[in-house]
Parts: sequence; C-alpha cells; structure tokens
Amino acid sequence: MADERRTQFDAEVRAAALTLSERDADLLYEMWLEWLPQRDRLRATVPALEDEPWR
Amino acid sequence: MAVSVGDLDLRTVSEAIGRRDLTSVEATEGYLARIAQHDRVLQSYITVMTDQALARAKAADAEMERGRRRGPLHGVPIALKDLIAVAGVRMTSGSQLMADHVPSRDAFVTERLHDAGAVILGKVAMHEWAFGRPATEGPFPTGRNPWDVSRAPAGSSSGSAVAAAAGLCAGALGSDTGGSIRGPASMCGLVGHKPTYGLVSRRGVLAMSWSLDHVGPMTRGVWDSAALLQAIAGRDPEDTSTRGAVTQDYLGALESGARGLRLGVLRRFYVEWSGLDPEVASAARQAFDVLRADGASLEDVDAPSLDVSMAAWAPFLAETFEYHKEHLRTRPEGFRESLRPRLYMGALFTAADYLRAQRLRERFRREVETLFGRVDLLVFPGQAAPALRFDEFPMKGLATPAMRYTAPWNLLGLPAVVVPCGFTRAGLPVSIQIVGRAFDDATALRLARAYERATDWHTRRPDPARWSL
Repeated sequence: MADERRTQFDAEVRAAALTLSERDADLLYEMWLEWLPQRDRLRATVPALEDEPWR
Repeated sequence: MAVSVGDLDLRTVSEAIGRRDLTSVEATEGYLARIAQHDRVLQSYITVMTDQALARAKAADAEMERGRRRGPLHGVPIALKDLIAVAGVRMTSGSQLMADHVPSRDAFVTERLHDAGAVILGKVAMHEWAFGRPATEGPFPTGRNPWDVSRAPAGSSSGSAVAAAAGLCAGALGSDTGGSIRGPASMCGLVGHKPTYGLVSRRGVLAMSWSLDHVGPMTRGVWDSAALLQAIAGRDPEDTSTRGAVTQDYLGALESGARGLRLGVLRRFYVEWSGLDPEVASAARQAFDVLRADGASLEDVDAPSLDVSMAAWAPFLAETFEYHKEHLRTRPEGFRESLRPRLYMGALFTAADYLRAQRLRERFRREVETLFGRVDLLVFPGQAAPALRFDEFPMKGLATPAMRYTAPWNLLGLPAVVVPCGFTRAGLPVSIQIVGRAFDDATALRLARAYERATDWHTRRPDPARWSL
C-alpha cells in the first residue's frame, strides 16, 4: 500500500512538473500523505447541480 | 507627561494626544524606548523606523499646535506587518529572498494611516511569507509571546500581536488568510479583526492567496480596532475586490450594547469539538453567559459544510504556489525547509479540486446566509487551545486542526473579530470569536465592545519583568 501511495505521489509530482530535491520530495510526500484524507473528502463531497463556483 | 505608553491602549493614547496631555513625539519616544529595552527578547520588530516616525510625530504635533487634529489616529504610533508597503522602507515578508526589497510606493492602508495622521513606528515580524512556522533563530525571527516568552504568539501576524500586546506600539495591522490576525490576537490577549473581504484594500500588501487575504487591526481594545478600521476601510480603484465596499460608522455603533442582538452558537462544530482545550471551552461558555446577561439571545445553530471547510480551504494554496512558483524553481534554498513543502503542496491540487472547493464554498455561503436570517451574529471560541511552547508547535503538516476555528471564515470573507475572554490557569489568554454579515463589521464590533465593557480581561497586561530568556 505504501509503495502504491508513493507511486501515486511521484506521478502527481511529475504531472505538476515539480523538480524537487530528494529531501523536499520526502517532506512533501509526508505532507501529501497526511492531507490525503482531506483531499479525498473534498473529492467525495459532491455539490448539488445548482452549486456554482463562488464568484 | 509621566506616563508609560506601554501600559495604555490605543484609545487612551489617542485621547491623551487629543487633550494635549501627551504629544505624539512623547508617545513615539516612549514606544521607541520600550522597543530598545525589550525587543531583543520579544523579537517583534524587523525594522524600527526611528527617524521617519519621529519626523511624522513632530509634524503631527505641529498640526496640533496649529489647531488641526485629523482624527483619533492623529499622532498615534502604529506598527505594520512586514508585508505592508511603506515607500522607501525595506519590506521582507519574513523571507531572506526579500531581505533587500524596498518598495517605492505606500500600500493603500499605509496611505490611509498617513492621511489619518498616524505615525508608522516600524515593520513587525511575521511568519515567512505569511505561511511559514515560528522561528527564534535566523535572519527573521517571528517573535515571542509576551505572556510567556517560551511560547509562540502563533502567526502569521506574530510581530503585530507581540508588539501590540507588549506595548511596543499603540496598535498594529496584520493580515489573515486562514487565521493570521485572529490566531495571534487570541494567543496574545488582543482584539483581532479580520474585516469583510473587499472592505480593506490589499494593494501594496504581499499576497498569500488573493482570494482569501484580508488586512485588519490587532489592538488591546475594541475601540482601538474600530478606529483603525475606520481609517483603512473603503474603495480603492486599484484593488477591484473593494468595488463593492460598504463602509459604516464603526466607532458610532460601538456603545449600543448587546441587548436585542440574536446570537447563533456554532456548538456542534466548535464548542463540542473533541480537540477544544477544556479551559478555552469553559471560558467561552462563561462568555456566552455574560452576553446573555447583557441582553443578547443565544441559540444553537449549525452549518453542515463546516465539516468540509478545511478540505475546501486547502486548494486555494494553488494561488500561493503560483505566487512563489518562480522563486521555488530558481531559488528553493531561499525558503525555510519548514515552508517549502507547504508551498509545493499547492501544485498538487488539480483545477477540478480548486473548482470543487469553489462550489463547496458557495454551498457553505448559502448555509450561513440562511443562518443570518435567524441570527445577527455567530459566536464560538476564538481558538482551539492557548499559546503553544516553541517546542510544541507543529513544524510539519499542511494545516493544523486548530485552523478550523479561523480558516472557514476566510472562505466566506465575513467579518470576524476575536476578543479576549479570560486566562488559563497558566496565565495564557483565550478568546471568543464573533462573525457577522458581509459589510456589517460594525455589529460584530458592537458585540465585541459589549462583551469587553462587561468584563476586565482587556485591562490585563503581560509583565515585562518576565521578558527574559
């Protein structure tokens, strides 16, 4: 599971075109992993059709 | 005048200057002397503007001699968070990348303060780029809590809070993107006011997140914050977010009391949260009783979207990443290691995440608007816990759980005021928070003043004898 997560993280870092030192990548991974439940929660919370983006 | 300005609130300084019991030069020299005496330990100032401040103070006194007093801030020494521009004065944002940055133009709020006759005393410390962590070492330390110098004042407007609480200025301005005015104000026993988004211009203020940044006062008393807000609020043609700004008479409404105000207590999400410190919870409950006794009615209310508010806050860090992207690419070593990953995180939210957050933000707004059909103001504890020791402060992580007390209200841009409501057994200040309708900052300040008038927490001062390491 940890390997899968790291693979997912590395893919997201590449998609974001970030160039990181090894140290920064490890620190960011730790932070990303910790925040993942919140991000999953955001993505799982489906707004109503009438919920347009804030303007 | 044989007065120690360090013991006074802004109102008392203002009134003494107005009565000509105190000159602006005397007040300014008084604060400069305290800075010289105490700031080696407190670390609240990055730049002390001695010559400019004394020149402004002399000019303010000369105007008074000619019979002209511009208003309540005339001659009153104020400190600015070091991301608010003063022309010709270094502005660092607490970052070594900006160590030599000198803006050529005043921020809008600086212009307004000058127009009001205020004396800018200096630029005060802050967390790096308004998103870093507390630091006692390095080129830009972030300040020590005057109630206990082994503790952090929280941030990011840390120096504003330390200087105002320690009497090293009469009041200060800070900025707030997720709680950076209200957090340190709570930890240092101050009133902290995040005004309605769009009421105060951000022009000339370095950004963290354009959508969520607010500039506002941090002071010992409610009147003090209202006077500062009166000076800095209003439309600025160069900041389009202020196009809809509606100003009010903030001082005029202050003494109207709590009677008749309907208050909604956000009990489930805030008062009953398991992470809330018991002493903060107890102080808040007692504060609610004071407000009830003062004539307000209280009922429990809820906004379900609070549960996803932190999840919806974080994608706005895409704005922060965008702001710093070039520096992160070319000079990553210019950021502290505690900040860099937090900035990079902003790159890992997708455009869909950002839009989902914007849609949930709108849903949250509708829920709260519905609540404001039943109540005039929302009230809840101002913080999760009292000030932490430096060695307790979480250096990792994107956002602390405690940010649930502040960050959701940046999403909605509503006026939010923290006011001191007691002290823990260890002598650390705690607060309640009051949230009002958009552009009705006056009613939030009115309730804060009603509470302040009924209690004496705001009269307590930290003891300078304890400011040693």
